[in-house]
Amino acid sequence: MSTHAHVESAPTADWGGGTLPYRVGHRKLGMWLFIVSDALTFSALLIGYSYVRLSSDAWATPFKFSPSILFSTTMTLCLLASSFTMVMAVRASAHGKKRVARRWIGGTMLGGLAFLVLHIYEWNHLIGEGLRPFALPAEWLKETPHASPLFGATFFAITGLHMFHVFTGFCYLGIVALRIRKISHEDLEISGLYWHFVDLVWMFVFPLIYLLSVDFKG
Amino acid sequence: MSGGIRNLARKQDVILNAICVLLATVFLVLALGNLSWAGNFLTIDSLFMTAVCLFLAGVFMINPALWAHEQGLFAAEDANHPPAVDLHFEGTTKLFLSILGALLGLTLVEVLLAYFKVPLTLMLTILLGLSLIKAALIVAYFMHLRFERMSLILTVVPMLVVCICLLLVFFPDGRRSLKLRTYGDRPAPAAAATEHE
Repeated sequence: MSTHAHVESAPTADWGGGTLPYRVGHRKLGMWLFIVSDALTFSALLIGYSYVRLSSDAWATPFKFSPSILFSTTMTLCLLASSFTMVMAVRASAHGKKRVARRWIGGTMLGGLAFLVLHIYEWNHLIGEGLRPFALPAEWLKETPHASPLFGATFFAITGLHMFHVFTGFCYLGIVALRIRKISHEDLEISGLYWHFVDLVWMFVFPLIYLLSVDFKG
Repeated sequence: MSGGIRNLARKQDVILNAICVLLATVFLVLALGNLSWAGNFLTIDSLFMTAVCLFLAGVFMINPALWAHEQGLFAAEDANHPPAVDLHFEGTTKLFLSILGALLGLTLVEVLLAYFKVPLTLMLTILLGLSLIKAALIVAYFMHLRFERMSLILTVVPMLVVCICLLLVFFPDGRRSLKLRTYGDRPAPAAAATEHE
């Protein structure tokens, strides 16, 4: 509560400085800066993927609309729904309803868990088909001769790093939900920022990795 | 004494902003002049020159615009916004539901593109556009940035956009390396190469 008092006494001019020049606490500012640097990591990875794809003679486009694309669309819906429940949790917490907020966070964790389970199932399936970081399954090579073997490397690196972020967020939200009575509203908002960022990254991974790898010939 | 210093500081502000406005004007003139000087405007070179000039003009206009804002020149717009000191999480359930609806709708459009197997280049363009809209919606409303102080937005957003745009410098090299490749006895798979523009 002490931070609230500080906030209200801060000068209102945007460039006036003062104790809280950004009108957010130092933890929240730190999370924003982390998000910026993490966004750069992901954009570098995605641009690396685009570079490799652009400079390859041929690129495998193996995902059939049904079931692969529909499957990953379901994953997207899980993540979007969890983002919505997270924002509702933050809203409930802003109105002081900690119990309601905890329930919404539970819903968010459920969405994240569903995403993780579906994603691991999908990875398992692709590895079973014979996709490796530096090798394509023989069937894919039959469909697209001379296809670059880097499909697996880019796919596993980008979706893997994203999956790790979802897993981290899942644990983070678990801790927040357990300690919800002790932590301040702003700390809950910060966990929300992280979760929305994970969702945001998927909004680029999903079209670029999945939708652009739909089987154009089939 | 302090009044004298304040006057001096004010004079400096005016001079600095005048220089900025002058430079912005010069770049604006260059950008517009490029329209007539370039024989064919729709080339990469010409578009690049125009974009850079407009960008620099915009950069130089930032300081005067902020100064004018501080002096209360745009006060009429600001009158609607109460000084946002309350910590309440703005936005209603209805707002968040409509944002969720928009995100779901845009996702549906993206998936439909894949269903109809739109050509790769066109699909990439539309997908990137739609994804940027979705990202903006998430950042602005779910991450609450729209309701934050302008200084935070200016710290976080522009540098991210500029850095990501700088990464695009690699793409010309990607196309070049495709053309440099040798294939030994095997014929170059030219048909496949053009597919990935």
